[in-house]
Amino acid sequence: MTGRESDHDLAEQLARRSAEVEVLRRIALDINATLDLDSIYDFVLRTMDDCFGFRHSIILLLEDSDTLRVVASHGYGDQALGGRVAVGVGVVGMVAKRRRLMRVNHLRAQQAYFERIRSQMQAAGRATELGEVVAVPGLADADSQIAIPLVIKDKLIGVFSVESQEPEPFSQRDETLVTIVASQASSAIQNALLFRAVEERRQELAEAHERLQQLNETLEERVRTRTGQLEQANRELRETQAQLVQSSTMASLGTLAAGIAHELNTPMGAIHSNADVERRAVRIIRGIMRDPSMADKLGPQPRLERTLKVLDDINQMTLEAAERVSKIVQSLRSFARLDQPELEWVDLHEGIESTLTLMEHLLKDRIHVVRSYGELPKVLCYASQVNQVFVNVLTNAVQAIDSTGSITITTSHENAGVVIRVSDTGCGIRPEHLDRIFDPGFTTKGVGVGTGLGLSITYRIIENHQGSIQVESEPGRGTTLTLRLPVKSSQ
Amino acid sequence: MTGGLTLPDEIRTVMDNGIPAVVVTCSADGVPNATIISHVHYVDESHIALSFQFFNKTIRNVRENPHACVSLNDLRARTQWILDVQYDHSEAEGPIFDAMDMRIEAIASASGMAGIFKLRAADVYRVKSFKSINKAALSQ
Repeated sequence: MTGRESDHDLAEQLARRSAEVEVLRRIALDINATLDLDSIYDFVLRTMDDCFGFRHSIILLLEDSDTLRVVASHGYGDQALGGRVAVGVGVVGMVAKRRRLMRVNHLRAQQAYFERIRSQMQAAGRATELGEVVAVPGLADADSQIAIPLVIKDKLIGVFSVESQEPEPFSQRDETLVTIVASQASSAIQNALLFRAVEERRQELAEAHERLQQLNETLEERVRTRTGQLEQANRELRETQAQLVQSSTMASLGTLAAGIAHELNTPMGAIHSNADVERRAVRIIRGIMRDPSMADKLGPQPRLERTLKVLDDINQMTLEAAERVSKIVQSLRSFARLDQPELEWVDLHEGIESTLTLMEHLLKDRIHVVRSYGELPKVLCYASQVNQVFVNVLTNAVQAIDSTGSITITTSHENAGVVIRVSDTGCGIRPEHLDRIFDPGFTTKGVGVGTGLGLSITYRIIENHQGSIQVESEPGRGTTLTLRLPVKSSQ
Repeated sequence: MTGGLTLPDEIRTVMDNGIPAVVVTCSADGVPNATIISHVHYVDESHIALSFQFFNKTIRNVRENPHACVSLNDLRARTQWILDVQYDHSEAEGPIFDAMDMRIEAIASASGMAGIFKLRAADVYRVKSFKSINKAALSQ
């Protein structure tokens, strides 16, 4: 080599090195201009080809601690992308395992040596000692390769590999170039991975926040629904409890009434009998006095006549009183059925009358009861419960009337049912209270007067009998409750 | 490790290329043995290392008679290099061992022979002399 040629070579080398330095400088600047992973991969692989002639290159990232996955490739079409290789297997796997650069030339010759040994072992009957041949991502006929670990702060993130079908295309200089670019790429990829992780985390947090909000809304709705259910259950519980108490009270009253009726019947029989004897005795005395033989002997007896008149009047009063007591006893007998739980055919008029009789002390002279009864068939129902309805409705009517007034009871047979209207001339119900009068606990009667459960229980009983209840009222004019019951409910 | 001999860069390139080489040894009673070895590793300008993977005739011979001959092929230049070497020592760890082990394991693992090609030691030899034979020139 002449001095002139040597100078020329040196000048060429210098120009080549300057160009490489310029490319590396540009890579260092441009590679960090983006945080998009795909853009970084594309930039690295394309630049390695354009500037250094590396036609086949791949980037593999650690998928987990044991596996590398090809995330970007150049010069392979789509066949390399997504390929996997275990850490420790093949050149890239070994580079990942040892975290050291590896440059291999004449790869096929070396593989041929191993394949020859493999064939010899198979021929010698030692095939069981052999493992599977692994297809490593990359060129199937690669004859040389440089692979370098991508490491950030002593932590492996992946491997960068370039391959060639030529046996000796890569020089020590190529190793240096690949090492520099890989170092730049490691930082850029790590930054992009961190950015992506942060973005994914941010997205996850946003989604979690949204789910939480939805959950909160759902929770509030569920709390509202559950609260409503609990309130409803509480109302029903109070109703049932009140109904039980009232049923129990009525049943006790029935038992008591039956006992009283039985006890009253014997003395009432004696009173009635005595009154009758007295009436006949007075009649006999009058007959004797009017007999002509006796009339002549006794002469006019005005004092005796007055006495007999007094006896007649007293006797009449005794009989009327006895009749009244008998009627009360009859009513008590009617109520004595209250504890009977079976469905039975019931004369509703009888139930209304029994109730009125027992409420006589409340009516007295201040409330006039008007009965406008139609023809009613017997109704299949629970007598005790229906009587309880009459008691509740009539008690309300009585309590609505401050001083004097009237209660009109109208009954009729309409279609397949009976209708009972109870109208009073009481104070009426204010319009804003009309929607609530069947709510358990609602009352306008004041503390100690009403429990607020009577109409609620009434509503439930009528509903259980598949009937209906309707209320019309005008403040100051009175209230009309209309009860409808089927003659034969399906319960 | 120094000596009076300096291996040329061309031989280092051939070794780096990793083309299997032929090693010839001789037992104490004078029986020669030739075998193919997967890798000859360049240690320094006067030393090379051969992989010790199997306790075979080569190893037995070298332990009896430290003198051996290594034939390397430069496929591109169509040149054969003949090295006269003498066994010096074995290394079962360290940079020489690691570099050889990594290369062997990389290819063996993909060939389903990771358990078979297991480097036991890097046997270091001193190069006593070398010569080259140009096959292209011979064929003319």
